[in-house]
Amino acid sequence: MFKKICFMLVLTMAVPFSAFAVDGAKLLQEIDRNLSPESYESYRKLINIEPSGAKKEFTLFTVKKGIDKVASVFLAPASEKGRSTLRLGENMWLNIPNVGKPIRITSMQSVVGGVFNNADIMQLDYAEEYDVKEVKEEEGEYLLLLKARTKSVAYDQLKIRADKKNRLPTKIECLTEAGMLIKTLYFKGVKDFGGGIVRPEVIETDSPLYKGYKSVMITAKIKKRTFKDEVFTLTFMPNLESLR
Amino acid sequence: MKRSGLIFLTLMLLAIPLWVHAAQDYTFDLSEIEKKPYHFAGYIEARPVFYGLDTDAALYKLRFFDNPNRQALAEINGRVKLEGSYEKSIFRIFARLNTDLQYNDHTHGLERTTFYEAYASAKPITSVKIDVGKKTLKWGKGYALNPVAFADRPKDPDDPDQAMEGYIVATADFIRSFDGPLKTISVTPVLLPVYDHVNSDFGQNNNLNFAGRLYFLFYDTDIDVMFLTGASRPDRYGFDFSRNLTTNFEIHGEYAWITNHRKTVLDPSGAARQVEGEAHSFLIGLRYLTAFDLTAIVEFYHHSAGFSRDEMKNFYSLISRGFDAYQASDDPTGLGRAMQLAESGYARPNAMRNYLYVRLSQKEPFDILYFTPSLTCMINTDDQSANIMPELLYTGITNLELRLRAAVIAGAGDSEFGEKQNDYRIELRAGYYF
Repeated sequence: MFKKICFMLVLTMAVPFSAFAVDGAKLLQEIDRNLSPESYESYRKLINIEPSGAKKEFTLFTVKKGIDKVASVFLAPASEKGRSTLRLGENMWLNIPNVGKPIRITSMQSVVGGVFNNADIMQLDYAEEYDVKEVKEEEGEYLLLLKARTKSVAYDQLKIRADKKNRLPTKIECLTEAGMLIKTLYFKGVKDFGGGIVRPEVIETDSPLYKGYKSVMITAKIKKRTFKDEVFTLTFMPNLESLR
Repeated sequence: MKRSGLIFLTLMLLAIPLWVHAAQDYTFDLSEIEKKPYHFAGYIEARPVFYGLDTDAALYKLRFFDNPNRQALAEINGRVKLEGSYEKSIFRIFARLNTDLQYNDHTHGLERTTFYEAYASAKPITSVKIDVGKKTLKWGKGYALNPVAFADRPKDPDDPDQAMEGYIVATADFIRSFDGPLKTISVTPVLLPVYDHVNSDFGQNNNLNFAGRLYFLFYDTDIDVMFLTGASRPDRYGFDFSRNLTTNFEIHGEYAWITNHRKTVLDPSGAARQVEGEAHSFLIGLRYLTAFDLTAIVEFYHHSAGFSRDEMKNFYSLISRGFDAYQASDDPTGLGRAMQLAESGYARPNAMRNYLYVRLSQKEPFDILYFTPSLTCMINTDDQSANIMPELLYTGITNLELRLRAAVIAGAGDSEFGEKQNDYRIELRAGYYF
C-alpha cells in the first residue's frame, strides 16, 4: 500500500514537468516563423565594417518560397548591381550579369566578403537544416542546442538564445563539429514590419576568425508574398529584379 | 526673447528626429530601394600595360617586322561601358555600349565603339520570356573555355570574366518547375540570322541559323543539351553538366561534336590546304574550396580539330621565312600570307589541341578584407609551354576595382606560348562603376 502511494505521488509530481516540458522542435519552428513567413519578399542592407571603421554596403532584394527556395538580387552598389544568387536546398548559384551563366557556389563562401557567408545571406529555416538536441530554460530565455542534419550544412552546431516572451533569437553562436566558435550573430531592435511580422531589424555578426571586423544585416522591408516555382530557376536568375 | 525662445524650441523639435536617426548605429533609407522604370549605369577603366618583348619569337616578327630589335612596348588602354534600360508593363529594353581605346607608339591610337548588347524583351508570364536584338547567350559551364557556346563569341581565356559582345538573335525562354528529382526544365530556342551587316562575322552570309538549348536540374545536377544548325557554320551538337559533390567541391564538363569542321593547315613547305572532318571538343573541370578559403579551378580542354605541333611549327617557319625575306629584300609576300593565316585561326587563343587551366585564388589572406591574390596558369600540354599570371585584386573601395597582374611566358622555341610576342607583361587595371 505504501509503495502504491509513493508511486502515485511520484506520478502526480511528474505530471507538471511532462505537461510543461518544452518541445524543442516546435519551439524552433516557432522561432523560424517569427523571424520570417515561409514565403516572403524582403529588402536588406549588408554592411561590412573594418577595424579602421571603413564600411562597405550592399543592398539586396530577396524572395523566399517554402522550405528550400531562396533567391536574391543586388541593388547596390553599382559594382554589384544585378548580381543574383539562388539557393535550392543545398544547391547555390551566383549569376554575374556581365560574365554569363550562373556558376555554382558553396555555402561557406561569401559573395560579399566579410563575416557573412552565403548560407547566412540565403538563410533557410533553422528547423529545415538542424535538429534540436537540447533545450534549457534560463532567466527569460531559452537556450537551444542544435545539430546539423547533414555535413553539407554551413555550421555543424548552433547555440540559440531566444527570448521567452516573443520567441525570437537574441544571439546565435555558430560552431564547428569540434565546438570551435566560427561566428556569433546578435539580433537587435525588434520592429513591427506590418502584416503580423514582428522581428529583429538588425543582425550583427563578428567572428574570432576575423578579429576586429564586423558585419551587419539590416532589414528594411519584409512582407508575405507567394511566387511561382519558376522564379527559383537558373533561367530566371537574370530576371529577378523584375519581381520588385 | 519670446520669439527667439520659440525659434530655439522649434529648432530643437526639428532636430530631435535627426538626432534619433543619428543615434542609431545603422541606417537604411527606403528611398534607396525605390524602383524606377529606367536604369542607367556605367563603368570606366584605365589599363596601362608594359610588354617585355621577345625579339626571337615568331609572333614578334609578324607584328614588329619593321622594327626587329624592339625590347619593350608601353601601352595605355581605356574602356567605357554605358548601359541603360527602360521597363513598362511586360516590356523592357536594354542596351550596353562599349568603347575600347588603345594607344602605343607602334599602332598609335585605336578606338572601337560597339553595342555589346541591345535588345527588347517581353515577359508575358513568369515562365516565358522573349528577347529580340543583340544579346550574349552564355552557354556552357567551363570557366575559361566553353566548347558548347555555339552562338557566342569565344571568351578571352586570359580574362574570362570580361563582358562580351553578343550576336543579333531572336530567342525565348520557357521554364517549368516540378517537385521530385527533376526540379526544372527550360527550353531556349534561338534564331540567328547572318546577312550583310547582321552577324556577318558569324559565318557564311545569307542564312538563317537555328540553335537551341534544353536545360534540366535533375538530381541536383545542372544538365544542358544544345545544338546549332544552319548553313553559316557546320552543324554542331553538345551537352554540359555541373554538380556539387560536396558543399565545397563542384565538377563540371562540356562536350561538343562538330559534324564537318574545316581548317587551313600548312605543310612543311608552307603550302596551305583545307582539311575537313568531324571534330570533338570537351572540357572537364572542378572547383574546390579549401577550409582556408583557397579556391582552385582546374580545367582540361581538348579540341580534336586544333592544330598539331607540326602544323604550328610549319606556321612559325612560314613567319620566319617571310621575316627573313622582308629583312633581306623588303618582300612582304610571305609575311602577308602568314598574317592571313594568323587571322584565320593560327594566332587565336588556345589554337592547339590540349590545354590544362589552373586558377588558385586566396580570399582575404592575413584578414585583409576584399583582397584576393591569385595565380592562373594556361598550360599547353602538347608542347609544355605555359602562360603564368600572378595577380592581386583589391575591391575594398566601393565601386572601385584595382587589379595588378603580371603574365610570364614559359616555353621553348616552336612552342605556342614560347612564340608569343612578349616574354612577360605587367598591367594595372583600375575600374570604376557608377
